[in-house]
Amino acid sequence: MLFILGLIVCIIGSSLSLIRQYQMLQQNSYFASRYLGWQKSNFAVIPFVLKVLVIGLAVWAAFLPNEVLKDSMVLFAAVSLFFGWKGASKNASSIKKLVYTARIKRTFIFAVLVLVILGVLACFLDFAFQNVVLVSFIVLTVFPEILCLISLFALKPLEKLIARRFINDAKRILRSVKGVRVIGITGSYGKTGTKYILSRILSEKFNVLHTPESFNTPMGVVRTIREKLRADTEIFVCEMGAKNVGDIKEICDIVNPDFGLITSVGPQHLETFKTIDNVFKTKFELFEAVFKKGGTVFANGDNELIKNRASDDLVLYGSQNEFNFRAENITGGRNGATFDLILGNEKVSVSTKLLGKHNVLNIVGAAGLAYTLGVSAKDIAFAVSRLSPTEHRLEMKTSVNGSLLIDDAYNANPEGCLEAVNVLGSFEGMKKVIITPGLVELGDKEYEYNKALGRAAAKVCDKIIFVGQKRSKPLADGVYETDFNTEDIYIASSFKEAMEIYSGFADKDTVVLLENDLPDNYLK
Amino acid sequence: MKTTVAFIFGCRSVEHEVSIISAVQAMRAVDKEKYDVIPVYVTKKGEMYTSEKMFEIEPFRDMKTLIAESKPVTMVKSGDDVYLHFLEKKLFKKNEDVLISVAFPVVHGTNCEDGTLQGYLEFLGLPYVGCDVLSSAVGMDKAVFKYVMKAADLPVLDCICFSAREYAENREAVADNAEEKIGYPMIVKPVNLGSSVGISKAKDRQELIDAIELAVSFSDKVLVEHAVQSIREINCSVVGDADDCEASVCEEPFMNDEILSYEDKYLGGGKKQGGSKGMASLSRKIPADISKEKSDEIRELAKKVFKALGASGVVRIDFIIDTEDDKVYVNEINTIPGSLSFYLWEATKLPYKQLIDRLISLAFRRKRNRENLTFTIDTNILSGVSFGSKGSKGSKI
Repeated sequence: MLFILGLIVCIIGSSLSLIRQYQMLQQNSYFASRYLGWQKSNFAVIPFVLKVLVIGLAVWAAFLPNEVLKDSMVLFAAVSLFFGWKGASKNASSIKKLVYTARIKRTFIFAVLVLVILGVLACFLDFAFQNVVLVSFIVLTVFPEILCLISLFALKPLEKLIARRFINDAKRILRSVKGVRVIGITGSYGKTGTKYILSRILSEKFNVLHTPESFNTPMGVVRTIREKLRADTEIFVCEMGAKNVGDIKEICDIVNPDFGLITSVGPQHLETFKTIDNVFKTKFELFEAVFKKGGTVFANGDNELIKNRASDDLVLYGSQNEFNFRAENITGGRNGATFDLILGNEKVSVSTKLLGKHNVLNIVGAAGLAYTLGVSAKDIAFAVSRLSPTEHRLEMKTSVNGSLLIDDAYNANPEGCLEAVNVLGSFEGMKKVIITPGLVELGDKEYEYNKALGRAAAKVCDKIIFVGQKRSKPLADGVYETDFNTEDIYIASSFKEAMEIYSGFADKDTVVLLENDLPDNYLK
Repeated sequence: MKTTVAFIFGCRSVEHEVSIISAVQAMRAVDKEKYDVIPVYVTKKGEMYTSEKMFEIEPFRDMKTLIAESKPVTMVKSGDDVYLHFLEKKLFKKNEDVLISVAFPVVHGTNCEDGTLQGYLEFLGLPYVGCDVLSSAVGMDKAVFKYVMKAADLPVLDCICFSAREYAENREAVADNAEEKIGYPMIVKPVNLGSSVGISKAKDRQELIDAIELAVSFSDKVLVEHAVQSIREINCSVVGDADDCEASVCEEPFMNDEILSYEDKYLGGGKKQGGSKGMASLSRKIPADISKEKSDEIRELAKKVFKALGASGVVRIDFIIDTEDDKVYVNEINTIPGSLSFYLWEATKLPYKQLIDRLISLAFRRKRNRENLTFTIDTNILSGVSFGSKGSKGSKI
């Protein structure tokens, strides 16, 4: 009886550990190689040694007579439950938790089924075989990584089949809607913001569907089409994300875009792309697809990489005079930006509440494309005036003692952070403050990026509040490289404390940038 | 996949039959390449039915048979979409509910055109053709409409307004007041009826009493205004929305009686011609025989009225010209005009098929404009709230 109870608890413990494994598998897009890469970079010696010891114990017990292993199952169950509890709580405290999609459910059920079958076998087999099964059962329990990979590979053929069916269904739906035009948007950064801007401008004239949030993988696009595309949809704005060469082409093969917009090419996801050249090639898979169809692709000409390698078939936009679609006389400030929007032969003055030059460029690209599709300059200007920042993305607010707050809490990419610091710098004549814990999850470049952020902040700010003593070390190193007065650096242990420090000197002539709001488990 | 348009018509209204004629005309004019049409007929009791037979006038002559052969339906919301839901469940039969992309109300009169139906559709979150709740409601109430026009500095005839109860309690005082403030000849109207129902003219006290008696039998609120002696009625249609609209050519309807009565409008010559042509068959002159300047003045005025009301879709605005001083007055608005004023648009070189296409686009446009404003914030305020005693976490209300 105690044996069966032990088995059941073991299965529960393993299931809990699997939550963490599947969370990481999902966030590595179900690629075994990326998942293993994550395992490697997060390898900890002590738990590993402990786990090997547990297995060694089990093997040793298996060679003892009198069903010792069977009788000590409860002990292993306790170990399993401990690791399970740790794994599950790690998932629960993450920013991006495991999403229980149909695929995850299928994989999960398969894995648990494997354990249950082993458990049942162990109950009915004779002594020798029973011990073999029990040891493998314990191995799978202690190392859920193995079970995670087994279930991934075992279900791969089935998943492929299911995905193929969904893709074909999405293609069929897209074909059945007469006259719907597809716009692909990609770029190393700025694509999500541009997607919202473009959709808003196009909505002046068309029924627009866009991929929600960051649904920018093939299956995310397929899901959007299957669930949201309607007979009255006139334009489908499709965000296309990439981490590997060929990713954009894969999405293009599904949606067959008529127009394209490339916001930027930059050093993002280099761990998978390896070279910037690969990033460029991948982003331009969108161009290939659209060009083949005879459509137009807009690309950000202010981006050096794009400009240097652009072919004549590309429509460049930006802030330089040679471009047909450009922004002139840009004036920016705390209320956003005002500029002249040149759309071929037409010129219209626009103002936006969005902060930062990158947003001006995003607007120019979106406006140029919308204009090409037939939205009038007048309608574009109106739509631009109505744009509002996405939550926690350079959002202006008022804070303590009547001071201004630039809420950029959801920004976690290095380029974007530097741009946010620039925005802060544009508030002339005001006391400028930054509150930030720095950036995380940037691999081996993390130190460099944080140091750069620290340097940039030192140039612009009057006071700096870092959050987390250990966390903010690289940032501080950046600041120390400059001649920034060290008395104006504060270190807080939490955002709450940071705000307390801030309210000590904030007044109506102070502006504070809140950059990358990390959950507290990162703050050490 | 085509855009599915549900034409809603009939309803609990005195203009029930006229609505059927207008709707059948419209449904037959729809571009079938682009749209799937679903007729949704609302009976005088308010039940909804659909049937393939409803694309013709003929079946409506025998209502009992038609209803027996039709399927009872209702509209339901599921997720972001609205479906036409079939009420009769057949065992082992697949769910035949149809996704509706847009609703096209072709209804006339109170209990539907007055914002009632629009409110229902708004509540469902289904985009619909034509005026929204507020403009429909204001457009239906002749007195409130005049107040709005006055506030927007648009020319209307002065009027007085009273309730049926006020009149019943003190007939003489009400009549005295009308004589004093307006003076003979007067026109007496129920405030909320379209199509000239219950409207009559009064030259003396006796006629005034009779006219009010007639009007209160149709409505709880009555309006009395001065009857212009030598009068020409000119109508003009407007299509668009408050941001961008255009006016049609003007028409001049001919009157058999001293004012355009219900018979003139919808039954005029009807029996001879089979009575199925609705507004389009009324004897009229298109374009109206007026100077270009007058026509331009009226068309400009029509657009101003349209914008002041915040109207949308297609409307017909009726004007009065006092031929003695050539002054133009806004008389009333039809937020869903009979036959959707298609005859005016055909005379303005916009074929009916294209008019309907444009109206449907406008419905989607309004929906988009509303979605571009934020209605809800994606966080649940209640999730952080506790009610007193136990609450150590979260804020208190």
